[in-house]
Amino acid sequence: MQGFRFAISGFGIISACGNNISETISNFSSKKRNCGKLTLFNSNIECPVFEVKNFNSSSKNMRSLNLAFEAIKQALAESRLLEYKDSLRIGVSLGTTVASQLNDIDFYRNYKLKGEAPLDSVNRYLKGNLADAISRHFGFKGPRCTIVNACSSGTDAIGVGLSWLKADFCDAVICGGADELNLVPLAGFNSLGVVSNELCKPFDKNRKGLNLGEGAGIIIIEKEEICKKRGFSPDLFLNGYGLACDAYHLTAPRPDGSGLKKAIEKALTEAKIKPSEVSFVNAHGTATRDNDKTEGNVLKEIFGKDIKFLSTKGFTGHTLGAAGGIEAVFTALNLKLGWIPASAGFDEFDEEIGIAPVTDKTEIKGKYAISTSLAFGGNNSALVISRI
Amino acid sequence: MNINGVGIVFNRGRGIKSLENALAEGWKKPENDCYKIPEEIFSDPVIMRNMRRADNLSKMTVLAALDALNDGGLLEEDKESLGIILATAFGPHPTTFKFLDDIIEYGDKNASPTTFSHSVHNAAISYASIIIQNRGPTLTITHFVESFYQALILAESWLIEERCKNILVGVADEYGEVMRYICNKKLNIARDGKIKPFLFSKTPEVVPGEGSVFFLISKTEKAKYASIKFSCEIDKGNEVDLCVLDSDGMTGSEEYYLKLTKNYNYFASYTPLFGSILTGSAFSCLVSVLMIKNQKIYASPVTYNPYKINLCDKTETRKLNIISCVKYDCSGEKIEFFVTK
Amino acid sequence: MPEVNEKKLSEIKAKLKELLVSHLNLQHIKPEDIKDDEILFGQGLGLDSLDAVEIVVLLQRHFGVKVKDMNEGAKIFYSIDTLARYILENSQE
Repeated sequence: MQGFRFAISGFGIISACGNNISETISNFSSKKRNCGKLTLFNSNIECPVFEVKNFNSSSKNMRSLNLAFEAIKQALAESRLLEYKDSLRIGVSLGTTVASQLNDIDFYRNYKLKGEAPLDSVNRYLKGNLADAISRHFGFKGPRCTIVNACSSGTDAIGVGLSWLKADFCDAVICGGADELNLVPLAGFNSLGVVSNELCKPFDKNRKGLNLGEGAGIIIIEKEEICKKRGFSPDLFLNGYGLACDAYHLTAPRPDGSGLKKAIEKALTEAKIKPSEVSFVNAHGTATRDNDKTEGNVLKEIFGKDIKFLSTKGFTGHTLGAAGGIEAVFTALNLKLGWIPASAGFDEFDEEIGIAPVTDKTEIKGKYAISTSLAFGGNNSALVISRI
Repeated sequence: MNINGVGIVFNRGRGIKSLENALAEGWKKPENDCYKIPEEIFSDPVIMRNMRRADNLSKMTVLAALDALNDGGLLEEDKESLGIILATAFGPHPTTFKFLDDIIEYGDKNASPTTFSHSVHNAAISYASIIIQNRGPTLTITHFVESFYQALILAESWLIEERCKNILVGVADEYGEVMRYICNKKLNIARDGKIKPFLFSKTPEVVPGEGSVFFLISKTEKAKYASIKFSCEIDKGNEVDLCVLDSDGMTGSEEYYLKLTKNYNYFASYTPLFGSILTGSAFSCLVSVLMIKNQKIYASPVTYNPYKINLCDKTETRKLNIISCVKYDCSGEKIEFFVTK
Repeated sequence: MPEVNEKKLSEIKAKLKELLVSHLNLQHIKPEDIKDDEILFGQGLGLDSLDAVEIVVLLQRHFGVKVKDMNEGAKIFYSIDTLARYILENSQE
């Protein structure tokens, strides 16, 4: 028996793996990892980062918002939803971490030294609430909300959109996440000892930690009947969402993975599918010791040792609030293409995890896929996406 | 959405009693041009035992959320699946600046991981869930002046789709020294310490505040306190008994509020008790909830009324079915919801 | 020379105790109440993984000492004594 489903009528992406869908596909195929030295701002922390290149927007120019706009433009072009903005209630639900923080160090340094500072960065911040700015820019009539659930923000923003649709608060939702590279998370994650000074190796036995990245990933979800009424035949769907809390620790995941397990089970229940029907999992896979061990063991327990899974953070870095959005796009894209790329960065099997991600471009046969996210503070989220 | 438990932490204290006392006492002069939460409130044993590293935003969130939960008397078996939604306009900004202090003083590589962990917006709700031990959905949202309203929409969505049966929905916002500097530059601080909600000025004055309010919202047959709705079918003959204005000077021109006199004929505002807070509509909502429960209208604490609108300036028993809670944002868009019996 | 080392070790322990109490916000504990062989993690002071990385930063800031391999963490951070000795050994290098 099929559960509910909402049509995915468009998606858009910008990350170090490509500034659009076709660049992303090309880099997936060639296993190209666009990682390099930090150029966007100064820091003496030496580590590889995944910057978006050929994108003319600095942090002084609301970079997170502009990344979001770029991905949204792509998604809107595919869905042709903009023509209906006056007749449909279109919601906007976006996840982020950096864009929600008043964290401009130049402003603060000046304020500390001189007791005063120009307010440009503050004014940018006040205009830069992602969902608010996007919704107002396009004149949309539905609800709008910026989600700040740390690393699961993007996935949770899609979950929020799903909840709005199910409750009939809107007819369509533009959802996902966007985040730019920034000194605060770089210094912060580095201080926690989870940043690798080498290229990241998700799920690998010798993984040393994460690399930070940036970007935006957007999907547009709609009521299927509305989609069809406006002449759009969807072939991708959002079928379920699960969100569960560890209630364990501010930074460490619950070692038994029960929060993630609950989130995945909830998503599967909503989609009315069994674990055996899942053709692949786009895992959170940050390449930290704790995350990959916990997550890998949960995937093994729920889906069995033969589950095909990957972490795309080997291609994008950890894009924080954007990650869930980017990975939802990758999941939908991979379902559409019928293959998943190699889990970039993985070389050696880790017995403590007990399963290994795919090491080559791999054909996908089934209808359903899952994308997972685990966040600071113990949030665990999962999405079920399907194709026709 | 039925409200079965409430909690509040603000300048005048913690808990419903402190709110009722504040409503009875009326306006109080702010200290240092703002309404901060007194430090002694944070020396609660729960806080001391479990939150030694926490910042004030996390502490006020936990206290208000715990109070709402205890007030609601939720059964142990229902706590596990409890959802929590926190809405915050600015998040833990003092902690973010403390982290920047570290970077400036000690360098990028020697900043405090503890401070960083608390500078993320969802740290507060993480503490709440650790102490409450709920394993249900927890989410933090930020949307400036619409934060509380959007949190209510999400809570209603979760109840309709049965994502959970009980949800703690609330707000928390903190005031700090950098914010003081920004407020002094961008807003007009009321030198007499009085927010004047009925002045409807193009350049209103503020007295910044901070605090947290939580509601335990459930899908029960009856509500212990009141219900919250997004529409009351007023065009079909239902009448609004009172319109509570959340005019506190934070969102620019307040001339828009005058438009309400076309639709409603009795007004009140309690913002002078809490201070100017972008998530202040939760505080105004709580007073409205109390009024519905107690069937009593409380006197507005500051009644300067140059437009001579019909406003409530004395506390009295009154039959109340529907209260409208309104806030206008800086572009003149109305944010409205209703508190009903 | 052992005598100098003992004095230096003693100073390091005293400073460590002050830093732990102030930076980790340890409530109701005075630095002088912490025993040298007090277990830091799990039992004893009951510190956790976040405290561990905070201590790493404190060592960098206040003693100029880096913890090169966190896998050795359990041994280094066992007690005030072991931590102080680690600092002393690595400051002399």
